[in-house]
Amino acid sequence: MHDGPGIRTTVFLKGCPLHCEWCHNPETQKFSPELLYYGNRCIGCFSCADVCPNGVHGGENEHIIDRSNCTACALCANDCPSTALEICGKEMTFADILSVAEKDKAFYGETGGITLSGGEPFAQNEATVEFLKACRTQRISTAVETCGYCDTDILLSAIPFVDLFLWDIKDTNQARHKKYTGASNELILKNLNAANEKNARIRLRCILVNGVNTDEEHYKSIARLASGINNFDGIDILPYHAYGGSKALLLGLRDNGKKEWIPDQTQIDRLNSILRDHGIIV
Amino acid sequence: MEFYTQNGMKRPIRLSESTRKFARDSLARKYGLDTMKVDSVSVDDIENFGNMSELARYDAAIKRIAAESPLRICPDEKISGAATLGMAIRHYIPATYSGKSVSYGMSHLTADFETVVKYGVNSIKAKALKAYSEYKGTESEEFIKSCLNCIEAFEIWHSRYLDALSNMPEYKANYENLKRVPFEPATSFYEAVQSIWFAFAFMRLCGNWPGIGRIDHLLGDYLKKDLKNGSITLDEAREILAHFFIKGCEWVNGQYIGSGDAQHYQNILLGGIDEDGKEITNEVSYLVLDILEELGISDFPTTVRVNKSTDGKFLRRVAEVMRYGGGTLAVYNEDLVIKALVNDGYPEREARKFANDGCWEVQIPGKTYFTYIPFDSLQILQKSTLNGYEQGVAFDSFEELYNAFVSDLYKKVEEIYIDKISSLTDTTSLRHCWEWPCTVISLFEQGCIEKGASYVDGGPIYNIISPHIGGLADTVNSLYAIKKLVYDDKRVTLSDLLNILHNDWNGEEALRQYALNRYVYYGNDNDEVDELAARLLSDFADICTSFNGKCGYRFPAGVSTFGRQLEWAHMRLAVPYGRKAGVVLAANCSPTPNTDKEGATAIIRSYCKADLSKLATGAALDIKLLPSSVEGENGLQALISLLRGFVSLGGFFMQPDVVDASVLKQAQENPEDYQTLSVRVSGWNARFVTLDKEWQDMVIEQNEH
Repeated sequence: MHDGPGIRTTVFLKGCPLHCEWCHNPETQKFSPELLYYGNRCIGCFSCADVCPNGVHGGENEHIIDRSNCTACALCANDCPSTALEICGKEMTFADILSVAEKDKAFYGETGGITLSGGEPFAQNEATVEFLKACRTQRISTAVETCGYCDTDILLSAIPFVDLFLWDIKDTNQARHKKYTGASNELILKNLNAANEKNARIRLRCILVNGVNTDEEHYKSIARLASGINNFDGIDILPYHAYGGSKALLLGLRDNGKKEWIPDQTQIDRLNSILRDHGIIV
Repeated sequence: MEFYTQNGMKRPIRLSESTRKFARDSLARKYGLDTMKVDSVSVDDIENFGNMSELARYDAAIKRIAAESPLRICPDEKISGAATLGMAIRHYIPATYSGKSVSYGMSHLTADFETVVKYGVNSIKAKALKAYSEYKGTESEEFIKSCLNCIEAFEIWHSRYLDALSNMPEYKANYENLKRVPFEPATSFYEAVQSIWFAFAFMRLCGNWPGIGRIDHLLGDYLKKDLKNGSITLDEAREILAHFFIKGCEWVNGQYIGSGDAQHYQNILLGGIDEDGKEITNEVSYLVLDILEELGISDFPTTVRVNKSTDGKFLRRVAEVMRYGGGTLAVYNEDLVIKALVNDGYPEREARKFANDGCWEVQIPGKTYFTYIPFDSLQILQKSTLNGYEQGVAFDSFEELYNAFVSDLYKKVEEIYIDKISSLTDTTSLRHCWEWPCTVISLFEQGCIEKGASYVDGGPIYNIISPHIGGLADTVNSLYAIKKLVYDDKRVTLSDLLNILHNDWNGEEALRQYALNRYVYYGNDNDEVDELAARLLSDFADICTSFNGKCGYRFPAGVSTFGRQLEWAHMRLAVPYGRKAGVVLAANCSPTPNTDKEGATAIIRSYCKADLSKLATGAALDIKLLPSSVEGENGLQALISLLRGFVSLGGFFMQPDVVDASVLKQAQENPEDYQTLSVRVSGWNARFVTLDKEWQDMVIEQNEH
């Protein structure tokens, strides 16, 4: 629904330069494959312990995982009868990905296509651009979900091959951006500007986190950004949800979901009304 | 009462308030409950009835129904005629002798409404009179006499309505309309709608459940002409047509009959090409969509014939209406259906006329005797090929096992053939040694009067018995699991696996989980298992058609379960792909619930890998979509693309429904708040609250993602 028009094949590229505290896809932050553990599926057969060369799996009544020794070799995941263990991330060639897309092609119609998501697709640098080129050759429409934090030259070289940018604006406040995502938004805004100058088709996607970026100043800045885009596709407001928190558990991390971050309807309505005041259709 | 929507979108208002009220009253059971007040008429007082022939009894019963059934004229209704006897809702001829119905009604057929509208019932009468002189003194004489008797009964019923309306000045338009039709050819759109309705209502009054067929094809030219000469506006035409749909809800009575109160096989088709290959989609097609969109009426489950060149504007309207949920609209891939019918031996021009049987099995309307014989392939695999999981079977390879199963399948189809021909007087004819009077339907099936034989006696031009394989996905998944576990991965021997299945997987949780989760089953676009499904369907189709020519019937193959997976659940044993005994498994040609993990496009791709053009009576795919997935312009585009993809990949029939399982659970708990919520069950829709608990649970299970 939020990954572009029509029926789309979404490719998640692992690895992200930002580390948003509210990340809802924590399994795509790291650049390398990782072991996921679904405790509710585990039947306690410990076939994993038998096959693991590094003694990652142990425990008596409770399944304990020592991730420090895990190389994500997938031996356990391939043997787990109940799919309680899974490896997130695998190396795929362009041909691998395109063959998946080829299967979906019958459903793309006039609007659908491939969406690159992540992680941050442009963190893969030239490979991403080359892949987008390959899609163009195959006449597959492309959308890229980006946080905009990437090499400006890479971004500019990709623009001719991207039909739609789904551009995340986490926060327009410089200090808060640094605090909550681990990086400044300066590069992001500069890149947005550069893409806009090249007339890229852009759709803004703005996460709303209660108590973090729910202030009028940020709302107005979003509206100004949106009204400055030449080839504007629209804007999606994405209210924070806490599901990403439980996904962190699968990685053996602490549940970072915070109920107090969920914005209420009046905050969403307020942002909508400011956008409308700026002549933006929502 | 609002007309329910699954997606929370407000339905547009185009119809007048009085028409909307008529719809609300009908859906709130007003007329259904009224119909139940008089269950049947009695023929007890007819002298010598007990000694009359079957046909003579039937004729007397039909005449009595025509003469004595209550008339119903609803406030503000624009078309007249009503099927007012309760017993007809239960598919019996609503006339009783000594307290019992004289016979059953007919269904799974689409009657010849084209002749009714274009040439009038009098043309059928003329044909019967001619046949009467031809067949006098032969064994067909009594049947032709019966045809004339039933037409006379129809005239009696017609004149009763005319008499009643003539005294009601506010129904002057109805009266004027009914003076000509259905006996004379219709001369206007309004007359044409009345003509179809009156013939339909009479057939239903006599206990039959015919389908309507291609309503836009039947009515399109009349509307075009009237619009051109200015005698009607589109808005007026929409009102009239809406009354047709609303009156079709006159049997809605809220009775809990298991599979719902709306299942009377009264399907309608829209769009597609005519016999010359020309697209017929017209103003009427759009009006029907308007009506379905506004009123959410699900009682005429409507199927759109879509092809590779279907107009984008029309398909967008279809998707827009589909989005409201209720499962009201389904689609045929017309290109493939026509190819399947041509493969089965129909001339192409004839194949292009296809409609359905009132459910989703395809047939040539007004010319076809059709019956399907369902069976459960999973039980054949479990109980015959694998000997009920008792020991004593051994197969050196998967091929050996598969071939043994196919030969058991052959035996089943042969059994169906022998069972059917045993009722025939000789193997080359279609005459039965039993009598089943069905003259009212025979009037509206081409061939019957000409051949002097009734609908069940080989009268129609095409006579079809279609073996329908059920449990397809479950059988394929079972075979695949055995192939992987025993022959490819060698995790267990066949003998041990049979033992484990015999014990319903008890004590073997790790292996059960492995079978359930580690293999990718039908519906996920896994070539290995999908090719097995394709192979099985192809072999099954070949088995069926090998019986062609052995008697007067043709034996095309089809795939269905409708709701039978419910009753079969209790007879099936544990399955090799990790489910224990007693679970409700797959519907129709759809994946087993909870094994489809890759979404709707993967399901369609799996289904389309089989050569579905070998299945001439149909293979239905059920697709459940979450309301959120079809929201907004993006969602609409996605739905359109899904329909286009289905066509380009070679699907046969797809019934998508927009349903949120959590809403269904709420409806189960608070039925009174969800009176108009309808869902696609299989070839029909049902108001969810009129399904019994078992059926409701099955629909919920199918809709959980």
